[in-house]
Amino acid sequence: MRDKTRKPTRRSFLDLLLGVSAIAWLASVFYPIVRYLKPLPRAGPGGPTRLSPSELTKLNKDAFVIVPVSGKRVLVFQNAAQQLSAVDAKCTHEGCTVKYLASESVIWCACHNARFDLDGRVLSGPPPRPLPKYAVERQEDGGVLIVAERTSA
Amino acid sequence: MNDHGHERSRLRGWLDSRYQITPLIEFLRHKEVPKGPHSMVWYYLGGTTTFFFMVQVVTGVLLLMYYQPGEATAYESMRYLTTKVPFGWLMRSVHCWSAHLMIVSLVAHMFSTMMLKAYRPPRELTWVSGYIMFALTLGFGFSGYLLPWNKLAYFATSVGTDLVKSVPLAGDWLLHVLRGGPDVTANTLFRFFALHVVILPLLFVGLIAIHLLFVQRQGMAPPLGQKVAGRGMKFFPSFALRDLLLWLLCLMILLVLSVFLPYGPGIPGMEWELGEKADPFEPAFPGIKPEWYFLWEYQLLKEFPPHLFGLEGPQVCLFVVTLLLAVWAIIPWLDRQAARNEPSPGFSDFGWGAILFLTFLTLKAWDIGALQPVDSPASLKVISRTCAWWTLGLGAIIIIVRFLFYHDRWFIFTGAALLHVALHGLFGLSYLTAGAIAASLAAAAVARRVLAARKTRASPGGVG
Repeated sequence: MRDKTRKPTRRSFLDLLLGVSAIAWLASVFYPIVRYLKPLPRAGPGGPTRLSPSELTKLNKDAFVIVPVSGKRVLVFQNAAQQLSAVDAKCTHEGCTVKYLASESVIWCACHNARFDLDGRVLSGPPPRPLPKYAVERQEDGGVLIVAERTSA
Repeated sequence: MNDHGHERSRLRGWLDSRYQITPLIEFLRHKEVPKGPHSMVWYYLGGTTTFFFMVQVVTGVLLLMYYQPGEATAYESMRYLTTKVPFGWLMRSVHCWSAHLMIVSLVAHMFSTMMLKAYRPPRELTWVSGYIMFALTLGFGFSGYLLPWNKLAYFATSVGTDLVKSVPLAGDWLLHVLRGGPDVTANTLFRFFALHVVILPLLFVGLIAIHLLFVQRQGMAPPLGQKVAGRGMKFFPSFALRDLLLWLLCLMILLVLSVFLPYGPGIPGMEWELGEKADPFEPAFPGIKPEWYFLWEYQLLKEFPPHLFGLEGPQVCLFVVTLLLAVWAIIPWLDRQAARNEPSPGFSDFGWGAILFLTFLTLKAWDIGALQPVDSPASLKVISRTCAWWTLGLGAIIIIVRFLFYHDRWFIFTGAALLHVALHGLFGLSYLTAGAIAASLAAAAVARRVLAARKTRASPGGVG
């Protein structure tokens, strides 16, 4: 029978010790598993990224192209005035890949019918945040360079 | 006794002397299925679900012999399987059809359990184990969908997994663990493969064992209100043979569907044409929809505005869905009337209301009545109106049948679901505003009922 006042006895001390070591043991088993499950961040090419020739062709043909930049998907597009812009291609709503609709001059996500303006700001639909912008420039040789640092929209 | 019978009794004696099987045989001999005023049909649905699961195991193992997970191999191996391998198309078709039929059977099993209040004590844990299997089955569907690594699967998985980020605190970690990185990649494919063919099947088989053990220990639930157990139907051979016959029928239906519609009936959410290979650097295309049993959730996500109560729309949506599913999980403890072996019409009505709620969202996700272009505001309005009329029609049928044939007089949740649909579809209120009005009216009506019932019970001579 356990006394209600619960004076520390040798037994209660041993129970406590057992409990603590059981928790420590479980933690030591699960910690490596928890760490193992989350993969390391992908080491993509950092810094400014140049569009490859095939990507450039696609950009000229469709007025937009989606390219990998530092492990992210970036939408590069050319508006009616031939100006280049780049935004994160991952819709801030549920992560679908957006596209540039040249006919309506908007960025559009087909999954839940979201529309963004060309600076990535939400025009209509459910996305809670604007698309992050990337700095993009056309170089003298006609190549296109995306600067990996984001600028706020 | 002839030689054959002699042999059999010798074998039985041999086994009995080692494993004491006589009590087991006696148990099976006396096992009965309760008979009642309701149809016996509802007692067969657990069996048919198990049957479709067994088909999944067999066809799944066969598919495994050709399928190769990986960015450069998954789609290619499925293409080879469906175009070159003898009867490869059939194996895949049976696997897909059986998956859909298993979900149909499982959902029917759960709803019938709910309507008959078979979850009432002492069978609460049978309900909970079944509920977990329901969740695992949705997991099977979701993880299997990605494995062919085609475009539709890629985007459906992107959207489906993205919702995880809305989980408070652990959202980001969970998303990375589920996807094997920040985005859906070949790593996601490996993880989903492991889930689909190892982790989920192990858990599922364990749970089936527990579920069946519970059912064997307690027997099947007798009809509500039955005080003394009447004479049931003998399980062996009467019920077992009927079970077997039904399984045979299920197999026939499954094979006919698989042979004549190898890529599904072609309605959104129920088609499995291999299509084009996934490419993460392609934009999403219109018409990306999850499988039909996730369509309501897909549509609900669309109905939420970007921000609500200072949270992001998807977060609130996830919270609402979690709340509804949690209520469904603990229903044996909420339903006090059924626990006393009394009818609980409010909980039946909750079930019917839920069916109408899900029906409307699913119809809307199918763009029933859409104009061109589908996503224009005018078209969305017509879709809402058309789907509202269909749901109201279905609701009217349900209410009339319940009123006339089952003498139900409890329609608060059904009414609220229909009011929600009418306010939104016919009177143009936003989905959430209409929902809030309908939900508060229903809450007020339920509160009135509960208080009135308490008063009657408190007053002497009143009936609870």
